Amino acid sequence: MIITETSANGIVIVALEGRLDALSAPKLRGSPPVADPKTAVVLDLEKVDFMDSSGLGAIVGAAREKGDPACGIVLSCMNNKVRRTFETTNAQRLFHIFDDTSAAVDFAATRQIART
Amino acid sequence: MKTILALREAECAWVRDAFPCVHPLLLPICNKPFIEFLIDFAILVGSPAVRILGDGELDAVERYCENGSRWGIDISYANMQTGDSVETMLGKNRRFCDKERVMMVSGFSFVRYDKRRDYKSLAGSMPEGEWVAGPGGSITLFGAPEKPEAQAADAPLSLMALDGMASYYRASMEALETGADRYVLPGYGGEPGCAIGRNVVMSKSVEIRKPVSIGNNVQLLGDAIIGPSAIIGSNVIIDRESTVESSIVFDNTYIGEQLEVIGRIASGNRLSDPVSGVAVTMEDPHLLSGIRKSEALGALPRKIVHALGALILIVLLAVPFLVVSTLLRLGGGWRSATGDYLSGKSGETISLGKVEPDAANALDTIASTLSLDRYPWLFRVLTAELALIGSTPLPAETQHPNAPANALAYRPGVFSYAEAEQWPATGGDAAIVERYHLVHSGPISDIGLVVKAFVNRPHEKTTP
Amino acid sequence: MSSIITLTLPGDPLFTEVARQTTTSVASLLTGENRSASDETQFIHDFELAISEAFTNSVKYAGEHDTPPTVTLTFEIEKRRLTVSLLDANSPFSIDTPAPDIESYPENGYGLWIIRKVMDCVTYRREGNSNIISMSKTL
Repeated sequence: MIITETSANGIVIVALEGRLDALSAPKLRGSPPVADPKTAVVLDLEKVDFMDSSGLGAIVGAAREKGDPACGIVLSCMNNKVRRTFETTNAQRLFHIFDDTSAAVDFAATRQIART
Repeated sequence: MKTILALREAECAWVRDAFPCVHPLLLPICNKPFIEFLIDFAILVGSPAVRILGDGELDAVERYCENGSRWGIDISYANMQTGDSVETMLGKNRRFCDKERVMMVSGFSFVRYDKRRDYKSLAGSMPEGEWVAGPGGSITLFGAPEKPEAQAADAPLSLMALDGMASYYRASMEALETGADRYVLPGYGGEPGCAIGRNVVMSKSVEIRKPVSIGNNVQLLGDAIIGPSAIIGSNVIIDRESTVESSIVFDNTYIGEQLEVIGRIASGNRLSDPVSGVAVTMEDPHLLSGIRKSEALGALPRKIVHALGALILIVLLAVPFLVVSTLLRLGGGWRSATGDYLSGKSGETISLGKVEPDAANALDTIASTLSLDRYPWLFRVLTAELALIGSTPLPAETQHPNAPANALAYRPGVFSYAEAEQWPATGGDAAIVERYHLVHSGPISDIGLVVKAFVNRPHEKTTP
Repeated sequence: MSSIITLTLPGDPLFTEVARQTTTSVASLLTGENRSASDETQFIHDFELAISEAFTNSVKYAGEHDTPPTVTLTFEIEKRRLTVSLLDANSPFSIDTPAPDIESYPENGYGLWIIRKVMDCVTYRREGNSNIISMSKTL
């Protein structure tokens, strides 16, 4: 799995590409912006072509450690396959999910301003 | 113009309580799932794409609507959080909206419209903002008008909040009464006010009083009176001399003999009064009386007839069974799994071996034509553990959705009545026809049904 | 018609992808009458997900042994139904896990729940020193 970090509007965008499973989940979990409880991250899932519960667990676990879980990790562009993994466990309830990364960044930025 | 349909679980929580088997968005209104009325409306305003937005699970809706190709539009799905503002909801679907004009239908409301009117030019030219609102939801337009405001003819549009049984009942009756003129309704209608689905069997003495809407696979028995204002779902049996008037009968429901269902909603074994909201869970009272009679008079003769029938089959099929099963066993084509099934006596289970030959070669074909997979079960009839014909044995370990309301409505058999009637042998559909025969069938007609089941079973397998 | 394929893989997470890809190519052999393309895609994906979960669990719970652990996959292909069984030599376990309590943000424990959710029928049996979990679904 390839992890690309960029930033926009003061928000870190972590874009994932490839398979998010038991093999790659620790890599995501160890990525500094994801692991840092204070950084709000937009996780761009557009190019994730497979995700199982290990990948889901990594995202959920990272969100738990954020100061504000629902706004600490904002998800964008999940395809139907990834959405199905979220929905079988009801994990979609925990996240704000956008179909567009720039909209997710705007949302995360306003939430960050509102908090500070 | 794109359409977003936004629904929150809290708005339709009552549906989950009242009709646990149905996803609220698929709640049938006049035999058509709720969501389809909204999709029709979206098509009417000229939307090529519809997004269904929910804060709960949408799996069942997705399985039903799929990608929308059935309607010639794109349907997609997305999640939202319960407390999301309108701005957040639009933000979450920014790519979908794609700077186009968007119509957002939110809330669990029945939308009253008229399919003959031109909503497309109206929706395209109206100023941005709320189009119509009601206590249970609203329809709002976002983005600049697509064309200058024209003298578009006004078209009726209003919302009726579906906030409980009473409003659900009213909306259903309204859809039935205003009929196929205003909405796209399912079923074939020879004449206005009477829509009937596929495979509906009606006795000559049945009286139909318009308006009615009847689903697929329905049996209406002698002297039944249907309507006025009856909505009958699919896989329903209305038994002799019963009346269904101003009522909604859900899919997979059996209405027993000489019952009067007036101003009620019947689903499964629950009968609700939409006005007072009082629901009665029936321990199949109609069935109870019917079965007691046959239990008293018919139990012993039935057991004897069944045992004799089983004995005849055992003798006739002994040679084919020994030859075919041995050959199949040698070839590895005779696989058997033992499982526990609910017994006719409540609380008890019986263990049965289930064999599944695949109808691929000649031996398998012989095995399934002669129902040799059921052969070992025939001995259980002699020990009175199974009936020769009865209900499909239900697995004991799982909490089966069709678990019998009481033991009297269930009598596991080697063959099932559903197989005899070639009724779609899945889930609730089969349970209905089985209950009907448990009440009505006597020892002699049982034999006829066994023959029918024996003949029909192989066909059922090749056309699943 | 029923065909059986057996595949033994080393019990190493590196091979999860092999298990997944084999499963998707086997699952794409099945066709259902009157089933839409999206039904077929969903069917393949559900198997891909289930096998990924089961294989990951097998590898995760493989204890210390003298010989390196292996996982044996058996595919039973019928006209409209696929059954995939996994055999490993781990300690016995139960498939009756409760639904994950999502509100507490759990990081683990979704695997078996997901398998049961996306498959039609999941059974577990212990044979000698082996676990066999069978997952089947009809298209």
